Amino acid sequence: MARAISARRKALNTAIAWTIGAMIFFPILWTFLTSFKTEAQAIADPPIFFLFDWTTENYTTVQERSNYFRHFWNSVVISIGSTIIGLAIAIPAAWSMAFVPSKHTRNILMWMLSTKMLPPVGVLVPIYLLFRDLKLLDTQFGLIIVLTLINLPIIVWMLYTYFKEIPGEVLEAARMDGATLRSEVLYILLPMAVPGIASTMLLNIILAWNEAFWTLNLTAAKAAPLTAFIASYSSPEGLFYAKLSAASTMAIAPILIMGWFSQKQLVRGLTFGAVK
Amino acid sequence: MATKASRSAARVMIAPSVLLLLGWMLIPLALTLYFSVLRYNLLMPGANPFVGVENYTYFLTDPAFTDAIINTLLLVGGVLTITVLGGIALAILLDQPMWGQGIVRILVIAPFFVMPTVSALVWKNMFMNPVNGLFAYLAKAIGMQPFDFFAAAPLASIIGIVSWQWLPFATLILLTAMQSLDSEQLEAAEMDGAGPLARFRHIMLPHMARAITVVILIQTIFLLSIFAEILVTTNGGPGTASTNLTFLVYAESLLRFDVGTGSAGGVVAIILANIVAIFLMRMIGKNLDT
Repeated sequence: MARAISARRKALNTAIAWTIGAMIFFPILWTFLTSFKTEAQAIADPPIFFLFDWTTENYTTVQERSNYFRHFWNSVVISIGSTIIGLAIAIPAAWSMAFVPSKHTRNILMWMLSTKMLPPVGVLVPIYLLFRDLKLLDTQFGLIIVLTLINLPIIVWMLYTYFKEIPGEVLEAARMDGATLRSEVLYILLPMAVPGIASTMLLNIILAWNEAFWTLNLTAAKAAPLTAFIASYSSPEGLFYAKLSAASTMAIAPILIMGWFSQKQLVRGLTFGAVK
Repeated sequence: MATKASRSAARVMIAPSVLLLLGWMLIPLALTLYFSVLRYNLLMPGANPFVGVENYTYFLTDPAFTDAIINTLLLVGGVLTITVLGGIALAILLDQPMWGQGIVRILVIAPFFVMPTVSALVWKNMFMNPVNGLFAYLAKAIGMQPFDFFAAAPLASIIGIVSWQWLPFATLILLTAMQSLDSEQLEAAEMDGAGPLARFRHIMLPHMARAITVVILIQTIFLLSIFAEILVTTNGGPGTASTNLTFLVYAESLLRFDVGTGSAGGVVAIILANIVAIFLMRMIGKNLDT
């Protein structure tokens, strides 16, 4: 008897959850579908769901009119560049705090976190003026610097929580067996650290890709990543729904796929280990 | 195990991160404070005389400031209410046994990965547009007048868009917390005759309390800085109807080129954010000890 009730309840749960899930996801699905319509079909009354003449012409038009891939490439360079530089700076720091903790470790970690609490608008004016004087406005390099710095605390923290989980006993055992420092790092520590580093990298690329305060304020045309490029659709091109959808789909697809793979890391990275 | 040599090596390894962050924090902060006491407008080159607290008085007594503070509170409060309540409900729902849980989870989380400018524009044009938006069709289909979202309720519309972006975050964190709840505890309570409401109130809610606090604090930090969504939908308007503090400072400094007043506004924003930050830091610090 109990089993029958729970099966019915399971079906009900499934129905409710799928309905809500579909509703939340709908705007993304709708954008994806609209990107394959003609402009006329995109605003057809009543709206057309699947039975339209699928076309990829919006994708080619967006590229031809606005050199879309240049902005796509800017996003790639800026998000990957800032992530790699950030990791290069953060790995030694997180490593030493996790394996050679001192009485200052806790304070350093907390202080790093506090820099993340600084609202960007509080330092907008000086950064803007400094960038203007140093000719860094609208350059990929300038954005890489800023994004590296704003995400550095998250990178250090995430790596720290991963490194902390590597058991020190394994190292001692290896040392007892006569392993050299080089082989210790190469064959024992590195393989255990790689998953943590990879997830940190993934989350950071996502955050950098979607960052929309500094990218909007510090770029104009040349170095504008996709966040800023899409913002230029706010008027009047935004009313060409099919083209807006095509540009949007290409902008969010890579990160959506990466994001689905990094759900767990997201929790750890964005709560600074407070929820696991 | 930590020898003197390894200690100094550790210091060398930490140094780059610390120095970079120190520079990133101190230099702009010092400059913001310095600019905030100067009469400094990019349109009026020449001397930038010291004016004391004039910029602060100007910024704080500007009617736009009061509007911006109210809008900021409404925006943060509105989004928090929707996402936390919705997140609790969704987390409990997704924690129940069902078919295809993994897929539903992916569907629910997706909006978090959509860049702010895309989600704002898609909602503004394809859903909320009073002529061609999907909501307008829906309204017409059931015989109602289409609602002009950004003209009639600009701030509420932005709250809706931002909530859509952050609901996945709250859900994901709270679901993680729910999954660590011992199911035997719930079953035992059920055996003892505790109804669903009692189980929610006395077992689930206390268990999630910590995660809820974390969600509130972290979202507040991010929500205080909402910018792109306002820029591409309403540009702060009509008037100042959807201008928050971040947008006001941006408008002062980069649209009106008033560096002095913009900087004073920046300092005000920093002070407000710090009030939240203190609570968040305390929570995370406690966790670090255990």
